[in-house]
Amino acid sequence: MFLRILKKDLKRKKTMNIILLLFIFLASMFVASGLYNVISVVSGTDYYLDLAGVPNQAIITMGDNVTGEIEKALKNDDRVEELKIEEVIFGAPKKNIFLENGKEAEAKNTLLFQSIDERKLNYFDADNNCIESVPEGHVYATGLFAGRNEIKPGEKITVRLGGLEMTLIYDGKAKDAFLGTDFMGNTRFLMNDNDYRKMLEDEVIYEHLRGEIGYVQVKDGENISSAVSEIPGVAFNGERDTLKLCYVIDMVIAFIVLVLSICLIIVSFVVLKFSINFTIAEEFREIGVMKAIGIKDRSIRRLYIGKYLMLALIGSVIGLAASVPFENLLMKSVTENMVLGNDIGFFVNIIGVCIVVVLIVAFAYHCTSKVKKSSPIDAIRSGQTGERYKKKTIYRIGKSHVGTNTYLAFNDVISSPRRFTTIVISFFVCTLFVLMLVNTTNTMESPNLVETFSSKSDLYVEDVADAMNLMNGGGKEDLVKSLADRAQQLTEEGMPAVTYVEIAYNCKVSFAGEEHIISCQQGVNTVTTDYKYLKGSAPANANEIAITPSVSKLIGAKIGDVVTIDFGEEKRDCMVTAYFQTMNQLGEVIRLHQDALCDWKNVASVFQYQIRFTDHPSAKEIEKRKERIKELWGNDKIMNQTEYCSDCIGVVDTMKSVQYLLLTITIIVVLLVTILMEKSFITDEKSQIAILKAIGFKDRDVIRWHIFRFGIVGLAAIFLAALVSIPMTNLCISPIFGMMGASDVKYRIDPLQIFVIYPGIILLTTIVFAGLTALTTKQITCRDTANIE
Amino acid sequence: MAKVMEVKDLCKTYVVNKRQNNVLKNVNFSVEEGEMVAIMGPSGSGKSTLLYAISGMDRATSGDVTFNGKSLMGMKEDELAEMRLDEMGFIFQQMYMMKNLTILDNIVLPAMQSKKTGETKAEKMKRGEELMHKLGIAEVADNDINEVSGGQLQRACICRSMINKPTVLFADEPTGALNRTSSGEVMDEIVKLNREGTTIMMVTHDARVAARCSRILYIVDGNIKGEYDNSQRLAMEEKEAERRLNQWLMELGW
Repeated sequence: MFLRILKKDLKRKKTMNIILLLFIFLASMFVASGLYNVISVVSGTDYYLDLAGVPNQAIITMGDNVTGEIEKALKNDDRVEELKIEEVIFGAPKKNIFLENGKEAEAKNTLLFQSIDERKLNYFDADNNCIESVPEGHVYATGLFAGRNEIKPGEKITVRLGGLEMTLIYDGKAKDAFLGTDFMGNTRFLMNDNDYRKMLEDEVIYEHLRGEIGYVQVKDGENISSAVSEIPGVAFNGERDTLKLCYVIDMVIAFIVLVLSICLIIVSFVVLKFSINFTIAEEFREIGVMKAIGIKDRSIRRLYIGKYLMLALIGSVIGLAASVPFENLLMKSVTENMVLGNDIGFFVNIIGVCIVVVLIVAFAYHCTSKVKKSSPIDAIRSGQTGERYKKKTIYRIGKSHVGTNTYLAFNDVISSPRRFTTIVISFFVCTLFVLMLVNTTNTMESPNLVETFSSKSDLYVEDVADAMNLMNGGGKEDLVKSLADRAQQLTEEGMPAVTYVEIAYNCKVSFAGEEHIISCQQGVNTVTTDYKYLKGSAPANANEIAITPSVSKLIGAKIGDVVTIDFGEEKRDCMVTAYFQTMNQLGEVIRLHQDALCDWKNVASVFQYQIRFTDHPSAKEIEKRKERIKELWGNDKIMNQTEYCSDCIGVVDTMKSVQYLLLTITIIVVLLVTILMEKSFITDEKSQIAILKAIGFKDRDVIRWHIFRFGIVGLAAIFLAALVSIPMTNLCISPIFGMMGASDVKYRIDPLQIFVIYPGIILLTTIVFAGLTALTTKQITCRDTANIE
Repeated sequence: MAKVMEVKDLCKTYVVNKRQNNVLKNVNFSVEEGEMVAIMGPSGSGKSTLLYAISGMDRATSGDVTFNGKSLMGMKEDELAEMRLDEMGFIFQQMYMMKNLTILDNIVLPAMQSKKTGETKAEKMKRGEELMHKLGIAEVADNDINEVSGGQLQRACICRSMINKPTVLFADEPTGALNRTSSGEVMDEIVKLNREGTTIMMVTHDARVAARCSRILYIVDGNIKGEYDNSQRLAMEEKEAERRLNQWLMELGW
């Protein structure tokens, strides 16, 4: 008999049951994939670095005569457990690689060429298989190369380096745990050993472009900074923890995906709880009848728990199957650069859906406790128990200044706000999350972050080839001359400007008996007062420096302390006069006074040339000049402040795709919640709808009443989310920027997007789907006043 | 007296499980202004279906219903809704009301929706209060619907049905859910309204209620089997009127 009652129930409340099933499916999918992602992400970086074989320290040397220096310095060092060295050839990101169509390929940072046979790390292809060999004449490229140049496997690339020209077939993207992050931005070409040897035959390459990467496993508790500081030509020296920070952006995206999963899980459960509560409340008549004929509470509860268990099992099995492609979809943007996984695998997903099933049954058990309160009288009186309730109507029709339909909608919301809690929570959570991401993405592509990379300028010019030439063969005088030439050329072209640049030296810094190699930045043609400081005053002479909070933490120095810096030709005591923030080198930077004399052999980077027009042109004019300068210097990489920030951070596009994915998922959740809630309201209010129609309300009046109600609740939840999104962005996203070195970020809040566009999209979805669902009220006629149970 | 309603060859057929069920079969009658007509008949005879069809709440399958000279059959749903709002009043057995409104707000709701009179909101509210006062429920004006008794609620429903000053008041078992005392009170109010000029059409099972009407239509299997003129009721004792009606009903097989 129970089965027959169940069958009847499933058939009679088809729509409600289907929607409930849909939410169980979504909850299962979200929980299973969310749990998998949580475990993969939490252990993600370590899992990947271990898989690739990255030890606890890595050193890169470049420049003439540096080959063998790492080995010489560290091979016999007792503090070193294991030393692995890869020999590489360095190239510039421009003018060294050409695509099949003859166009110059673009890369973000220095290129590296390497023989696959000489690899000391594991590199992975797009399917996460370890690359063991590369056929002669073929090549794999790591990092952003494929994305930037839209190159597909099978296409040819030509390497022109020194006097060499070599054409290779691109075999696909390789994942490089050390240099492949957006933050490092280096592209490594993995090639056959014979091809690599051919490259070395070129004299320029052999003499000037060779370098080494040393992977050092340092014994626990030991520090090899002093030994590394003896190695000439060190361009990078980082510990594994620093490397892990390079994945911060990938991890940010992974955690966004993760928080999204958690949000969706919360929404799913809120809606599930509502559905179960609602359907049980709707059953009072049947429950009363069952009690009246002598069926025990326990049996009635078993019937309903059985129904929800069945729905939970069906929904969760489908959800489990869908969780695998869904988790792949969510993690796609993260796994482009990484190999993520965990040692437990699919079992995690199974645990996830088991949790959902248990929770649903627990909900059902909790909600069915109302069965005890339902008496046979409920069946007889159709739920009218004669119970007196406290007054709830506070908004009176006589005092309202709106139409009847709008009044009814407002009055419903004011009179029974608890009925709308599910909508408010779901809409608020989803909208808040979308808006926080919008704020973050907008900030990342706004000029607000420009001063965390450099000083404010009108235009930024990336000319890595020029920088490489200066670093390898030139000197500071050449750089000053190059800047002067560029400024003169611009003035002659009617664009009077000053040009300047920042350079970074790797210097040995000593404080409190410890030595560290830290990137020291110095402006050429700028002064220290051009930069922003968090605390203290700008360095006023060559013996003064500013440090970042990260450096302060690393070396223990504070404002007023004196640190010793080895500038190459001399060591000098410098006083810390200020703190500043930067996202360069993940925040580990010292700012030198412009007069501080540094040995050019310590130079590690020459940043983008900066142009500040002296005739103060408008933004429109700057854009025009940008295009003219592109033609003038034959360089596409001339950027305004926004483009520069976006280029430096490097993940804006990924963030945007995550943002759109999130918006899509939010819209789906919003429309499902809307349909489910509206359907529930219609079922609950059938008698009221029928009586309204009987007394002369038209179909469109009833539909408007329902739409207005959703509009009011949705608008309130979304507007609240928009307001809260501003402090919440600050609260949740600032620690992430802090990890990247920017401890004081001014967020770009676009009121149009935050208060109009995104809330508008979500509200419109709500109204449209509330309206479409409310169309079913047309089927309720005034005749139903006689048919209502 | 002028005819308020004329029903001609009215048929209503339902198809249930591919089976045709002719609920109303060529029903013909007319109602004059100021009449109080009761529709009686056994369960399933088509009383409520007839009431819904002649009040525009349901569409007849064929035939015609003329209300105030206008045929309901050709009217669109919106026109029917407007007619129900402005020219008809309804009382049902179950006292359905909007759950989140007070008694007074429920009563004035049709007036607020109507554009017939051009009155202000305050005037409409005042009229609602006057109606409540007239029906003796003024003290529950600000109560929620679950704070009043069934009798008070049904009187509130009568107030709601009267708020737009309808030409005809349709009532489907208005006392069906009430006890004897409440039932008597509600009928007193309906009779009073009729005496004030409102035409009333009412479905009832209760001969005591029907005995207070001026005319009784007895319907069996979708046909009007008999018509009883009760216009002399006022000239005799209430019990006598009820006895005579019962006798007539017995003759028809009640």
